[in-house]
Amino acid sequence: MNIDERLVKADLTARPDSLPYTAADIRRGFLDTIPLWIGVAPFGVAYALAARTAGLDPWQTQGMSLLVYAGAAQFAGAGLFAVAANPFSIIFATLVINLRHLLMGATLAPFVRHLPWWQRAALAFQLTDESFAVSVRQVTVRQAGPGRMVGAEVALYAVWQVSTLLGLLFSGSISDPTQFGLGLVFPLSFSVMLLPYLRSRPMVAAAAVGGLLSLVCHLLIPDKWYLLIGALGGSLTGMWLEGRE
Amino acid sequence: MNIWLTIFGMALVTYACRALPLLSLRGAINPTLERFMRYVPPAIFAALITPDLLIPRGSLHLDAQLAAGLFGVVVAWFSRNMALTIAAGLLAFGLLRWFGLA
Repeated sequence: MNIDERLVKADLTARPDSLPYTAADIRRGFLDTIPLWIGVAPFGVAYALAARTAGLDPWQTQGMSLLVYAGAAQFAGAGLFAVAANPFSIIFATLVINLRHLLMGATLAPFVRHLPWWQRAALAFQLTDESFAVSVRQVTVRQAGPGRMVGAEVALYAVWQVSTLLGLLFSGSISDPTQFGLGLVFPLSFSVMLLPYLRSRPMVAAAAVGGLLSLVCHLLIPDKWYLLIGALGGSLTGMWLEGRE
Repeated sequence: MNIWLTIFGMALVTYACRALPLLSLRGAINPTLERFMRYVPPAIFAALITPDLLIPRGSLHLDAQLAAGLFGVVVAWFSRNMALTIAAGLLAFGLLRWFGLA
């Protein structure tokens, strides 16, 4: 059975329940993220500049990176602090932006359910779009162990903290580094992650509906609901089509 | 102080979204939920891609970023290689800007 048939027929419940952590998995997970650093680091720097401009002190700026650790939400938060928005609206905006992580967590949950609760709690803390992107296919289809996620998460967390710190140290002397086309890094790397899934009609439909819904909602609906709506609509479409076939 | 409280609130709701499924989904997974979750990765990747690729500033601009992004997707299609795709996209962006084509 090739990998793509396995993906379509993946029987999550029949999987061995105790894939161990291996040093090789952790190392591979770490190395997998390297191409993403070129996208993450400038955004960490840019976030620090935005947060300082918004009036956060250096401790608060770094503290948000350490505790919240969610790029899009931190940018939105900085923008809202700048206009002295109500704390509850800042927290609500953060919630809306991050609701999509519920879906990512649910996708990964069957593959880590054998781990002790504190390990799952730790994995959850550093779950991001990027760490999900580089490890989900390995973990759910190719039977890599949870170390794959650990390596990716630790690498990206470290890059985010260091780049925030660099932005703090050089704020005032540098301009926004994201203006050099680096915004391309995320959509392009997610494209590479998406393509291997497009092997069956329901998968293609899930992606098409997800992408289109997200685009339309981004244009029509304020705030950041578009990611959640696109992801939900796409997944439901794929599920429905698979049921019909 | 208010800023710190807000940051803690942001951290709390973010962590709740990330941890809830990982901590609560145990034992056998409902087959319908399982079927749904198989389609989460392609749907979520596509939802992340289209706005960033096509309307990075909230509306459509026929500029170097759009052209380089579409070129990068073509490279992704043929290479399936992340480092190569990113490099090709950024290089295309740089060249387009350098020569003032877009």
